[in-house]
Amino acid sequence: MTNLSRASRAAIGAVALVCALTACSPVADEAAPADKPSQSQNSFGSPANPDEVKEGGKLTVALSAEPDRLDPSLSRSLYSRYVFQAMCEKLYDVDEKAQVVPQLATALPTVSPDGKTVTITVRQGVKFADGTEFNAAVVKTTLERNLKLPESARKSEIGPIDTVDAPDAQTVVVHLKTPFAPLLGALADRAGMIMSPAALQKLGTNFASAPVCVGPFKFSKRVPQSSIDVVRDPNYYAADKVHLDGISWRILTDASIRSANLRSGDAEVADSVSTQDVDSLRKESSLTVLQSQSLGYQGITINVGNVDGLGTPPKPIDRPIAKEAKVRQAFEYAIDRKALVNAVFNGISTPACSPISPASAFSSEAAQKCREHDPAKAKQLLQEAGVQVPYTINMLASNTPDTLRLAQALQSMVKDGGFDIKISPVEYSSLLDEQDRGNFEILQLGWSGRIDPDANITNFVGTGGSQNVGGSSNPELDAVLDKARQSTDLNERKQLYGQAVGLLQDQNPLIYLYRQANLTAFSNKVKGVQVYPDGVIRAAFAGFAK
Amino acid sequence: MARYLLTRAWHSALTLVLATVVVFLGIRALPGDPALSLAGEDRSPEALAAIRTEYGLDRPVTVQFGHYVERAIQGDFGSSIRTGIPVSDMIRTALPVTVELSVLAILIAALLGIGAGVVAAVRRGRPAEWVANALALIGLSVPHFWLGLLAILYLSVATGLFPASGFVPLLEDPVGNLHHIILPAVILGTGLAAIIMRQTRSAMLDSLSADYVRTAKAKGLSPRAVIGRHALRNSLIVVVTIVGLQLGGLISGAVVTESIFGLPGFGKMTIDAVFQRDYPVIQAVVLLTATAYIVINFLVDLLYSVIDPRIRVAGEAA
Repeated sequence: MTNLSRASRAAIGAVALVCALTACSPVADEAAPADKPSQSQNSFGSPANPDEVKEGGKLTVALSAEPDRLDPSLSRSLYSRYVFQAMCEKLYDVDEKAQVVPQLATALPTVSPDGKTVTITVRQGVKFADGTEFNAAVVKTTLERNLKLPESARKSEIGPIDTVDAPDAQTVVVHLKTPFAPLLGALADRAGMIMSPAALQKLGTNFASAPVCVGPFKFSKRVPQSSIDVVRDPNYYAADKVHLDGISWRILTDASIRSANLRSGDAEVADSVSTQDVDSLRKESSLTVLQSQSLGYQGITINVGNVDGLGTPPKPIDRPIAKEAKVRQAFEYAIDRKALVNAVFNGISTPACSPISPASAFSSEAAQKCREHDPAKAKQLLQEAGVQVPYTINMLASNTPDTLRLAQALQSMVKDGGFDIKISPVEYSSLLDEQDRGNFEILQLGWSGRIDPDANITNFVGTGGSQNVGGSSNPELDAVLDKARQSTDLNERKQLYGQAVGLLQDQNPLIYLYRQANLTAFSNKVKGVQVYPDGVIRAAFAGFAK
Repeated sequence: MARYLLTRAWHSALTLVLATVVVFLGIRALPGDPALSLAGEDRSPEALAAIRTEYGLDRPVTVQFGHYVERAIQGDFGSSIRTGIPVSDMIRTALPVTVELSVLAILIAALLGIGAGVVAAVRRGRPAEWVANALALIGLSVPHFWLGLLAILYLSVATGLFPASGFVPLLEDPVGNLHHIILPAVILGTGLAAIIMRQTRSAMLDSLSADYVRTAKAKGLSPRAVIGRHALRNSLIVVVTIVGLQLGGLISGAVVTESIFGLPGFGKMTIDAVFQRDYPVIQAVVLLTATAYIVINFLVDLLYSVIDPRIRVAGEAA
C-alpha cells in the first residue's frame, strides 16, 4: 500500500472541494433579484479570537426541532447532529470549505490500490468524558456496533464494511467487501462518532440516556421536548480551547418564537430562521445572520412505478405523467424555478435542477444543466404525448405553511404550461406513509443532503433504492451510479455524476426545484458561532465577547 | 350518598376502559407509521423492520393491546419511540409543569372572572359593566397564540420584563419559576376568565333579583353580606360547573401556550407525540388525561352535592 494511494488522493480530492461558489453556480447567480443579497454569498461565520472572548458562561441555542436519540448508532434526525457536534467527536470532520479533515483520526485515511482496505491512524492521549482511554480498539468497537446493532441507522451508510481490525493502539484497518468511496463522508458524520466502551457496556441500547464520547462538552441533562444541556469536559484533549461553561439547546419549533427569543436575549443562537424574518433580523445591529446553501434539495417526486409499496418491484401505472417521459419533461418546462424561490422564499433559496449542489466538488457543467422555463414548449410536449389540456395532477404535500405557499405558487405557475395541480396537504407522518405505500401521483419532499453525492442520489432514484418512493428504474442510470460509487478517481466520479444528471433529466422521475438555505442567526454578544455547509451549527469553541 | 357515589364510580371505571380501547385502536387507525416517522430521512428497510420488532409493531393489534394493558397495570408505559426515554419519566417531568400552569391559570381566571362578573352584575348598566363586558369579549375572541405572541413581543422583546421562553422547576428556584410561568398562565387564563365573568354576571343577576336576596336586604344585612354570602354563594354553583367543563379547554390551551413559551409541559408533549406517532407516549398521555377528566367530573359532581344538597337527594332518589 502506498502511503498516499490513488484512492486516497481521490478521496482527498473528492472532498477537497469547493470551487468558489460563484464560479460554478450560474443558476444561483441569475436567481438573485438585484436588490437581494446574492445567492452565492455564503457566510459561515468565523472562529473566535481568544483575545476577544471571556471565559465561562452558558450559551443558549434555540433549536427548531427536537433531536431524537442521542446515540450515534441510532440517531436518525438532523437535529441530534447539532448536539453531537459539541459532545461527540468523529474520526473526520467537515470544514467550512466542505472538505473532510481529520478530527479523532490523525490524517486522512490511506486506501489500498484495490480500494478495499482503508487504514486510519487515530490520536493518542485522548480520553472520553468518563475517563476511559481512546484508542484503535474502541474505534473498532464503535464501528462494529454501527454495523451489527439490529436497529442501527448507520448500517446502510457503511454497508460494504466487512471486518475491522485494530493491529495496534493507533491503527484501525477497515476491510471492505467492495470499494466504497462514500465511506469517508460517512465517517465524517455519525458513523464516525466514537462512543465510550465503558458507557456502551453499562447502558447498551440505552446509551442515549447518558451518552459518553470524546468532545469539548459532556452530556449533563435532557428534559424531553424542552431542552438538552451539556457542560465543559475537563478530560477533553483540547480543553484549553473551550471558553464556555456549558451549552443549552432549547427546543422552540416556531420560527417567529425563535427570532423573538433571540431578540429578547433569552437565546443567543437560533437555527432555521424563517426566510420571512431574515431581512428584519439582518437590520438589527446586535445580531448576525449566517447563510449558506445546503447540500440537499427540495423536489417533486413522480410516482412512475410504486404500486405495491416501497421495496416491491415497480409496476406500470396507467397515468400519462407516470408513463410518458414527455409529460414529465413538460411539467419541468412549466416550472419557473427562479420565480418560485423569489416569490416563496424571498429569493433566499437557490433554484436547483439536479441532486448535486454547486457547492460540491462533484459538480460539473453537466451536473448543473437546467431546463429553462418554457410554458409553450410544455404545452407542445403535452400535445405530442396526446394528453388533454389542462392535465390535472394530484400533488401530495406537507401541511406546513412554507410548503403550502410553495405548492400554491407552483399551482398557479404551471397553469400556463397546461397543468392543473390539485394540492392535498397532509401532516408529515401521513405524508411519509402515503409516499411509501405509493398512494400519490406526485409529491413534494426534500433531502437535507450529505457530503458525498452518492448519498444524495442512489437511494432516491437507483433501482430498488431504499427511498426510491417513485418506483423509478433505469438500468443505464444504475450502471453509472454503481461505477461512480466504486470509482476512486475524483475526475471520473465527477464525470459520471454529470452523466447521471443527464439521464435523470431525460426521464425526470424526480424534478429538482430548489436548495434550501441554512439560515442561522446569533447575537453579537457571542463570538465564534459557525455553520458549515453540512448545515450543523458549530458553537463548541464559541465564547461570550469581553 | 354512598349509593350515588358507587354508581358514579362504576360509570367512571367503565368510561376509563372504553377510553383505553378507543385510543389504542384509534391511534393505530391513523395514517402514519411510527417506524417511518422515527426513521425519518435515514430510513432503510432493515432499519424499519428493526424498529417494528423493537416496539412490537409487527405483532397483531390484539397482542399489542394485551401487552400494553398488562404493563400499564404494573405502571409501566414503555419508552418513547422517538427519544427512547421512559414514558413515566417524561410524564414525571411534564405533568408538574402543566399542573402548575393550569392551577395558576384557573386561579387568575377565577380571581379576574368572578371579580369582574360581580362588578358587572352589581353595577349593571354603568360604565363598569361595559368595561367588564368588553374585556370578556376580547378574552373570548382573541386566540391564545396571538396573545402569546403579543406578550412575547411587548413584555419580553421590547421591555424585557419577562423571559420569552424557558422554564425553571418550582423546587429549584421558586422566584425564577414564577417569573417564567406567570405570563403563560395569564395568557392561558384569559379565555377562562372571560367565560367565568359572563357566567358569574348572569348568575348574579338572577340571584340579585331572587326572593331570598330581597329578604336578606329586608333583614337589614349589609350590601357586602347580601352580595357575598347570599347572592354570590348561590351563583357559584354555575361557576364551578363551568370551570369543570372548561378544564378540557384549558388543556388544549396549554398545548398552544406551552409550545409558544417553550414550556416542557404535558400539552406540548402530547401534541409532539401525536405528530411523531409515538404510540407509547400517546397511550399513556390519553389514559392519564381520561383519568383526570373522569376524576374531575366526579369531583365536580361531589362539589355540587356539597354546595347544593338538593342534588344529593335527587341523586339518591334516582
